[in-house]
Amino acid sequence: MEKQAKQRPGRLAFLWENMSGRRIMFFVSLFGVLVYNVLQLTVPYFSGQITDLFLSGEEAAENLRLHRDLLYTLIAGMVGMTLFRVIVVYLDCMGFEHVSQYTLFRIRNILFDRIERQDMTFYATYRTGDLMTRLTGDLQAVRHMIAWVLRMILQCASLFLATFIYFFCMDWLLALCVVALAPVIFFIVYRFRLQVKPMHVMLREKFAGMNTDAQENISGNRVVRAFAREEHEKEKFDKINRDYADTARETDFTWLKYFPWVESCANLLPVILLVTGGLFIMSGRITMGEYVSFSGLIWAISNPMRQLGSILNEFQRFTAASDKIMEIWYAEPQIRDPEDAIDHEERFEGKIEFDHVSFQYADATFPVLRDISFTAEPGQTIAIMGETGCGKTSLINLIPRFFDTTEGQIRIDGVDVRKYKLKQLRRNIGLATQDVLLYSDTIEDNIAYGNLHMSEKQVAKYARLSAAERFITHLPEGYSTIIGERGTGLSGGQKQRISLARALAVQPSILILDDTTSAVDMETEKEIQEGLKNLDFPCTKLIIAQRISTTRTADKILIMQDGRITESGTHRELIEKQGYYWELVKLQTGLDREILEMMGKTAGEEV
Amino acid sequence: MAKRKNTYRVDEELETPFDIKHLKRSFVYMKKYRKQMILAFALSAVAGIMALFDPMIVKEALDGAIPEKQTGKLLLLAAALIGTYAVSVCFALIRSRMMIRVSQNIIYDIRKDLFAHLQELSFQYYDDRPHGKILIRVVNYVNSVSDMLSNGLINLALEIFNLVFIIVFMFLVDVQLSLVILCGVPFLAVFLLWIKNKQRKAWQAVSNKNSNLNAYLQENISGAKVTQIFAREDENSKLFADLSEKCRKTWMTAVRYSSLVWPGIDLIAVLIRAAIFIFGLVIFATADGAAGKSVGVIVSMASYASRFWQPIMNLGNIFNNFINNIAYLERIFETMDEPVTVKDAENAVPIAPVKGEVVFDHVCFSYEPGKEILHDVSFSVRPGESVALVGPTGAGKSTIVNLISRFYNVDSGRVLIDGQDISGVTLHSLRSSMGIMMQDSFIFSGTIADNIRYGKLDATDDEIRSASAVVRADDFISKMQEGYETQVHERGSLLSQGQKQLISFARTLISDPRILVLDEATSSIDVQTEKALQEGLNAMLKGRTSFIIAHRLSTIRNCDKIMYIDNGGITECGTHEQLMQAKGAYYRLYTSQLQDVV
Repeated sequence: MEKQAKQRPGRLAFLWENMSGRRIMFFVSLFGVLVYNVLQLTVPYFSGQITDLFLSGEEAAENLRLHRDLLYTLIAGMVGMTLFRVIVVYLDCMGFEHVSQYTLFRIRNILFDRIERQDMTFYATYRTGDLMTRLTGDLQAVRHMIAWVLRMILQCASLFLATFIYFFCMDWLLALCVVALAPVIFFIVYRFRLQVKPMHVMLREKFAGMNTDAQENISGNRVVRAFAREEHEKEKFDKINRDYADTARETDFTWLKYFPWVESCANLLPVILLVTGGLFIMSGRITMGEYVSFSGLIWAISNPMRQLGSILNEFQRFTAASDKIMEIWYAEPQIRDPEDAIDHEERFEGKIEFDHVSFQYADATFPVLRDISFTAEPGQTIAIMGETGCGKTSLINLIPRFFDTTEGQIRIDGVDVRKYKLKQLRRNIGLATQDVLLYSDTIEDNIAYGNLHMSEKQVAKYARLSAAERFITHLPEGYSTIIGERGTGLSGGQKQRISLARALAVQPSILILDDTTSAVDMETEKEIQEGLKNLDFPCTKLIIAQRISTTRTADKILIMQDGRITESGTHRELIEKQGYYWELVKLQTGLDREILEMMGKTAGEEV
Repeated sequence: MAKRKNTYRVDEELETPFDIKHLKRSFVYMKKYRKQMILAFALSAVAGIMALFDPMIVKEALDGAIPEKQTGKLLLLAAALIGTYAVSVCFALIRSRMMIRVSQNIIYDIRKDLFAHLQELSFQYYDDRPHGKILIRVVNYVNSVSDMLSNGLINLALEIFNLVFIIVFMFLVDVQLSLVILCGVPFLAVFLLWIKNKQRKAWQAVSNKNSNLNAYLQENISGAKVTQIFAREDENSKLFADLSEKCRKTWMTAVRYSSLVWPGIDLIAVLIRAAIFIFGLVIFATADGAAGKSVGVIVSMASYASRFWQPIMNLGNIFNNFINNIAYLERIFETMDEPVTVKDAENAVPIAPVKGEVVFDHVCFSYEPGKEILHDVSFSVRPGESVALVGPTGAGKSTIVNLISRFYNVDSGRVLIDGQDISGVTLHSLRSSMGIMMQDSFIFSGTIADNIRYGKLDATDDEIRSASAVVRADDFISKMQEGYETQVHERGSLLSQGQKQLISFARTLISDPRILVLDEATSSIDVQTEKALQEGLNAMLKGRTSFIIAHRLSTIRNCDKIMYIDNGGITECGTHEQLMQAKGAYYRLYTSQLQDVV
C-alpha cells in the first residue's frame, strides 16, 4: 500500500524490457532487414548493367559477341545474389517470429502469474472475459508489433533511404524530383494517425465486451436454458456483435479517407520519373541504362509511402492493446507479502485468534464485521452459524488474507497473519468454499489439486474421509472421470464432497469449511462427520453450517448476527441460554412431539 | 459420457477432416454479398486491365518519344499514365469501401449463426468441454476467417484474372519470351504442393494449442480464489507456461513452412528474369550474334515478368492465408454442425396454458446407452401439488426434474403436462411456463435488478421489488448502497452464496411459472431465512405445481407428496405422515436426523 504504483515505462520501453534475452537476435534480425534490402538493389543493378552493356549501349552488339562470359557472370551474379537474399529473408523472417513469439511467451506467462496473485478486489473489478482478452487478443497485437510493424518500419525507412541515396549518387537532381512528394505524404499520414487512434481504443473495448458477453453466456448456459431466454440472449449478443462489426468497419474506413491522397501521391512518382527521366535522357544527362535502374527501383520509393498507412494503423492497434496489458502488468495487489515477512516453513500449530476484528468492503458504506473476538485452540472445532449475509464468509475470508481486516488483528500461532508469507500462510489452510469451483479435469486431479504428488491411494483415502469414495467408484471411469467446467454434471452434494476431499488432501493445520455439507443428505453428512473426526493429522476446524447436526459436536459455536458475534458456547450451553441457537434447534428439528413420541423418545427432558 | 470429455490438456480431435465441402459451405456466407463482390471484382478487374497499359505507355516513351526526343509526346504519355492511375485509385477506393463492409458483415453473420447455434445446444455440450474452447471459436476464430472469405476470395479471383490478362499481353508482345516466363509455373506448383500438407497440419496444431490455452486461462481466472487458497500460483504458472510454450512451438513450426512460400516464389521469379536475358540476348540471337530482341521488347518483357510474378506471389500469400484460416474455419463449422439433440418436433405447437398436472408414463432414461438411470417411472401430480423428491445422491432426482423441462429426451415412455406430451410442444413455450432453479445460481454481470428481470424481461421496478420481498431478498438488497442498482458479476461480486440463491429465487419467481422446480435451490440459505421465505412462498405457490429437491427435512415435510427415489425408480410415495407410518427408507432418513440433534 505504501508503495505507490511504480513509474510505468513507455510502451516501447516495455517491449524492450520483455525482449530481454533476445535483444541481440532482434538486432541481428533488424540488421538482416537492411541486408536484404540492400541485396534487393542488386537485381536492378545487374539488370541495368546487362541492359547497358548488351542491349542499349553503343557497343551492345559488339559486347554481346565478344563478352558472352561477362553476360553470364552478370546473370549468375544476379541469380546468386537473389538466392543469397531469399535465404537472408527467410532466416530473418524466422528471426522476427522467434523474437516476437519469445516476447509474447514471456509477457503472457508473467502476466498470467501476476493476475493469479491479484487480490479479490482486483477480481471484483475485472471481468473474466476482459482479462482473457488482455492475455489473448491484446497480446497478439503486441506480437504483431514486433513481428511485423517494427520490421516494416525499418524496412520501409531503409528501403526508402537506401534507394534515395542510390538515386542521389546516380543523379541528384532526378533523385530530388522523385522524392519531392514525400513530405506531403508524411503530413497526410500523420493526420491519419491522430484520427485512427481513438478508433482503436474503442474497437478494442468492444472486442473485450463481446468476449465478456459470450463468456458469460457460455458459463451461464444452464440459466439461459432454464428461463428459455435463448432469443433474448441472441438479441443481446446481436447488438454487441453488430456494434463490434460497425466499429471495426468505421475503423477501417478511417484509412480510406486518407488513402486516395496517399495513393495518388505514390502513383505520381513513376510519372514524375518518366517525364523528368525522359527529359534528362533527351538532354543526355543520364543514359538509358541509368533510367532503367531508376524505373526498376521506383517502387522502393513509392511502396514505403503506401505502407505507411497500414503501419500506423497497426501501431495504433498496438498502442491501444499495450495500454490494456500494462494496466494489469503494473497493478499492484493490495494484499501481498510484507517486506519483513517471517519465514515460517514449518507446519502451523493451528491456534487462531480474532482480536477485535472489524471489516468493511472497500465500496461498502458500513462494515460487515464488527468487533469480532474469539480464539480457537489447536485441534478445536469452531462452528459458525447465522443468517444469510451476516458475515460468516467474510469472516473466514480474512484468515487466508483474501481481504485484510479494517481494524483489529487476526493471529495464527500468536503472529499477525499479515506478517506471514502469503504462500506459507495459505499452505496451512484448507478451505472448501461455498461456491464450489471444480476444474474440468479428472476427479483425481481435482482432489490432488493442492498436492500434485499424491498417490492414487492417498486420493482414495481423502475421498473416503469425505464420503465421496462410494459415488466416485460407482462412476464408469471412477477417479478418471472428467467433470465439466465448474463441476457441472455432478450434483451439488457430490461437488461439495470433492471440494472437501481437495481441502483435506493438503493436510492443513487449519481446515475451513464454508457450508460444505449443505447439499449432502443426512446419512452422507454423518459419514463426513465421522471422517472429520478421524483425520490422520492435527487440525483446527472452522465450520460454517446451517444444520444443527453439523455444529452440535463443536467445541464452540459462534452465532453471528449482523456482523457481530451474539452468542458463543457449546451446544448445551447455547441451548440452556434459550437464545437464537435454541430457536434454530427448535425450528430445524421441528420439535414435533408427535414424531418424537412415535420414535419412542421424550424430547423434553433431553433438551 | 460415451464420448470422452475434453480438458485443457487434450487436443480436440477433429471428427470430420476438412474437405472441399467446407469451402463450398462458406459460400453460403458470401452469397449474400454476391453483388458487392462481383462489383468489387469488376472494378478491380477494370483497374487491373488499365494498369496493363502502363508498361505499354512506358515502352512507347522509351522506344519512341525519348530516342526521338519528342517532348510533347512524352508529356502526353505521362498524362495518359496519370489518367490510368487516377481511375485505379478511384476504383480501389470504391472497392475497399465495399469490401470492408462485406467483410465485417460476414464476420457478423458467421458469429451470429454460431452464437445462435450455441443457444440450441444442450447442457451436455457445455459439460463436455472447457468453456474457453467454445469461447475462442465465437470470439477469436471468427475474426480470423473473415478476411479470407471476403477479400481472400475476390483477390483470388482477381489475381487469376490478372494472370490471364498478363499472359495475353505478354504473348502479344513476344511469344517466345512469354513461353520462357511460363516455364517457371511447374516449379512453383511442385513447391506449393510439397509445402501444403506440412502447413496444414502445423496450423491445425496451432489452433488446438491456442484453444487449450484459452481453456486453462478461463478456468483459472474464474477459479482464482481456489488457486490462491491452495497456494498453487507457482504450479499453475508452470502449467500455463507449458501450454504457452506449446503454442509458441506449434506457431514456430507453422511459420517455418509458411515463411518459405514468399522467398520461394521470389527466387523463381528472378530465375525467370535471368532466363529472359539469356533467351532474349543469346538463345534467340540473330545469325550475326546481335541481340534477338529489341531493347523495348526485353525491358517490357522483364516488366511483364515481374507483373506476372506479382499476382503469383499474391496468390502465394492468399494460399498461405487459406491454409492458415481453414484450421479455424473447420472448427467453426464443427461447432455449427454439433447436432442439437433436444429440439422442437417438426409439428410442435406451443403448449396450451398450463394448469400444472404432471404425469410420468412409464419413463425410462439413460445418459449413455446401457446404463439406465430411470427405469419405468410412472407417477402423476395434480395441479397445484407440491412434491418433494428425496433419496441418496445420484439416484436420479435431478434427472426426473430435468426431464419435466425436457432438458433431455426420454428413452421411452412419455412425460405429460396437462395431458400433452411435452415432446410435441415447443421448447420455448414449455420452459417459459416453468420456473427452474438450479443449485448453481449463476449471476450475470449487471445490476441486481437486471438479474432478477432476467425472469421477466418487461418487469417493472415494483414487480422486482415485490418478488424480492417474497423471497426475503429485499432486506439485504435495500441495505446495499445502491440497492437494486448495485453492480454484481459472475465471479468477483461480494454477494454470499445464500444471497445469490435468494436473487436467483426472485428471478425464478418473477417469471410467474405454473410449474416450479427447485433443485437444491435453498441449500445455502440459512434456516431462519428459509422459514421466512417459505411463508411468503406458500402464498405464491398456491395453485402452482412444484417439485422440490432438498435435504433439509423442514423443507420437505410440508410438501403434499414426498417421493423417495432410489435404484432408478420411486420406492416410496406419500405424505410425510404416511411415509413415517410406513417406517421405510424415508422414516429412517428422517429419524436419523432427529436422533442426531436430540
